[in-house]
Amino acid sequence: MRGSEPSRPSLITDRVALPPGLPGVWTTALATVLVLVMLGMLLWIVVVNAFAWFWPAAVCRVVETDGAEHVGIVVGHEEAPARAGGGRELRLQLKVGNRDLDGRDFLWLDERDIAAIDRPQSLVRVVRAEYGDAFGEIVGAVGPDGSPIAADDEALGRLLADGARWRAERRRLEDRLAEARRPLTRLEEELDLRERSVRADTEEGRAAIAALELAAGELASQLGPTLDGIERELARVVEDLVTARLAISAGDRDLEVTMDQVVEVSWPNRMGLPAKIATALRQGVTFLLSEPREANTEGGIAPALFGTVLLVLLMSVAVVPLGVVTAVYMTEYARPGLLLRLANQAVNNLAGVPSIVFGMFGLAFFIYGVGGAVDRTFFSDRLPTPTFGTGGLLWAALTLALLTVPVVVVATREGLLAVPRSWRDGSLALGATQWQTLRRIVLPAAMPGILTGLILAVSRAAGEVAPLMLTGAVKLAPSLPVDATFPFLHLQRKFMHLGFHIYDVSMQSPNVEAAKPMAFATTLALLLLVVLMNLAAIVIRRRLRRAYRGQTV
Amino acid sequence: MIPNGPALASHDLDLYYGEVQALKKITLEVPQGRITALIGPSGCGKSTFLRCFNRMNDMIEGVRVEGRVLVEGEDVHHPDLDLERLRKRVGMVFQRSNPFPMSIRENVSYGPRMAGVRGRDRLDEIVERSLKQADLWVEVKDRLDSSALDLSGGQQQRLCIARALANEPDILLLDEPASALDPISTAKIEETLLQLKDQYSILIVTHNLQQAARVSDWTAFFMLGELVEFSDTTTMFTNPSEKITEEYITGRFG
Repeated sequence: MRGSEPSRPSLITDRVALPPGLPGVWTTALATVLVLVMLGMLLWIVVVNAFAWFWPAAVCRVVETDGAEHVGIVVGHEEAPARAGGGRELRLQLKVGNRDLDGRDFLWLDERDIAAIDRPQSLVRVVRAEYGDAFGEIVGAVGPDGSPIAADDEALGRLLADGARWRAERRRLEDRLAEARRPLTRLEEELDLRERSVRADTEEGRAAIAALELAAGELASQLGPTLDGIERELARVVEDLVTARLAISAGDRDLEVTMDQVVEVSWPNRMGLPAKIATALRQGVTFLLSEPREANTEGGIAPALFGTVLLVLLMSVAVVPLGVVTAVYMTEYARPGLLLRLANQAVNNLAGVPSIVFGMFGLAFFIYGVGGAVDRTFFSDRLPTPTFGTGGLLWAALTLALLTVPVVVVATREGLLAVPRSWRDGSLALGATQWQTLRRIVLPAAMPGILTGLILAVSRAAGEVAPLMLTGAVKLAPSLPVDATFPFLHLQRKFMHLGFHIYDVSMQSPNVEAAKPMAFATTLALLLLVVLMNLAAIVIRRRLRRAYRGQTV
Repeated sequence: MIPNGPALASHDLDLYYGEVQALKKITLEVPQGRITALIGPSGCGKSTFLRCFNRMNDMIEGVRVEGRVLVEGEDVHHPDLDLERLRKRVGMVFQRSNPFPMSIRENVSYGPRMAGVRGRDRLDEIVERSLKQADLWVEVKDRLDSSALDLSGGQQQRLCIARALANEPDILLLDEPASALDPISTAKIEETLLQLKDQYSILIVTHNLQQAARVSDWTAFFMLGELVEFSDTTTMFTNPSEKITEEYITGRFG
């Protein structure tokens, strides 16, 4: 039999074979590289664009062939639309600012029309409270007494320092005024609510209103002298601020900037690299810590940053107990069977529900349902003005908690299942109850899992925008959700949010082109915030893991 | 405690894992103040039998028990039984040491703390006494607050013995306590057990016949869920009454 078989092919062939697995290695490696490149590009685009917001770019003077002169920052170049003459041509985009003069922030200049570009040391960038930046050369100045001041560095420096001091003084006085007036303001708000309430026309309502009016009148006459004093001081400072001014020449155009409008004056062309870096850093910090101006297109993102952090914290406070308790029941107590499998599936499917659906749920259930009931029960004298029956921090946080609870449940369940059986047995055999075992042994050991869940929940929640638009995020919140008045944390208030802010600045602002770097800067802030929160949780989790390194026993 | 009565007893004990019968009509009395060893081939039900006395089989899905199990004369399946009290009185040490991820001190004081004992001094006293009884005090007294997971395998197992002793039990159940340890650690554990036998009734499952011969006063031989023979250890190892016992002891199977 054997002999009749054809001889078996040799194991050694002369075929030139590719190394085993090579095509597989290449395609998979390529895919990995592609993913990494995309990720790198994402970061790069955000960082580069955001950088433009902070970096003090050189201010240029551009002279056209027809003699027209412009001052501004070169933002970009692009190919000009073909003209009759034909041929490729570039044109450049110049941010000229000075919006109050003719409403344009940007100019497009064909390169062939440009006679000269230079960067005189004398050109300044003035960041203003209104109308955006002003560019140009300071050609004169007026002091607080209305007399002209020499436009030399020393005198200007003194005037600018004075201006900064007056503005600080103005802010301090305004705060003092608001603080002194607060009791009265509160009474007036209350009165306003009563007058608008459905019960205003009842006898009881009229009596309440009359009493409030009386109290407000008394308080007003009591506070009168104090308030008048502060107001007089304030008027004096404001007088100085609007009298003192800078005269600026920007090419063909001239403008004046009163000191009350000045936020910052800088000479970017005089800065060396260290000064530029310092300026960029300072502007970064200012960006994070200051209020937005000009319909969010200028200034900072402090309230949005604060709102996002607070929202995520509140969400965590809500989601961790809910998720952990659910996971404990499902893992430790529920009998395995069809019901548990269904519950498990339901939790998993919840994670796949589009977030806007959660937004609608939050709107219908939390705001109209629960919030409406709360208003009818506790704030009925304010109706129809809603208190909790409208979007607010609490409802947004609860909606996000619902959105992220599946992640916490799944991660906690995994953490619980990973706790060695021998620890549970050991604890029970020592006479501990099941609850004690859970509390003292199982939950602490499952802590890394719980934290993993929290990390995932936080990452998801910090970036969610859609449900927030329905549940309380706004373009501009009049006051922060935390302040000095009782009860300090105002859960019913609307809030600002980085994600929503990005959308608002890049799509809804009156000057999208000018706000573009600002939108990227906000994006970078959001990205950093999420990374920071994740890092914090990871550090905590690693600490815990170290404590439980014997978990595999 | 009932003077002279058996520490542990079972009468016609049947135990089923679902449809499979793991223990068949076991009737056995474990004497007080002695070490009793349970021997037999793997899967013969000796560990299952051991776990009947502190009802650790409750946690296994589908276990059904028939017959009576008595601890110091009291029925452990009585509907009004205080399970936590039973488990405090009947301490248990597992095959693989299972110290909790806490300090040595917290491990030992765990049982008393769960039972509501408070006060640092009192707990410290319990920790010291228990560790001394388990022969571990000298080795760990200077690092009571370091993690129990840093101890060696043998030390961990003695820590588990100390942890069980901290509850002041009357009875100790040991489920192959030395099977995962090296010979020196094993010897140490055996020495500890011999010291403990004056104060506790000890029931120990072991795979190691020499160990049974060395430490135990009484020996029970299990096979396929049945109690084949129960007698004092000397008789068991020198003159067993059943042929199959002799074959097992002399190593013809197992």
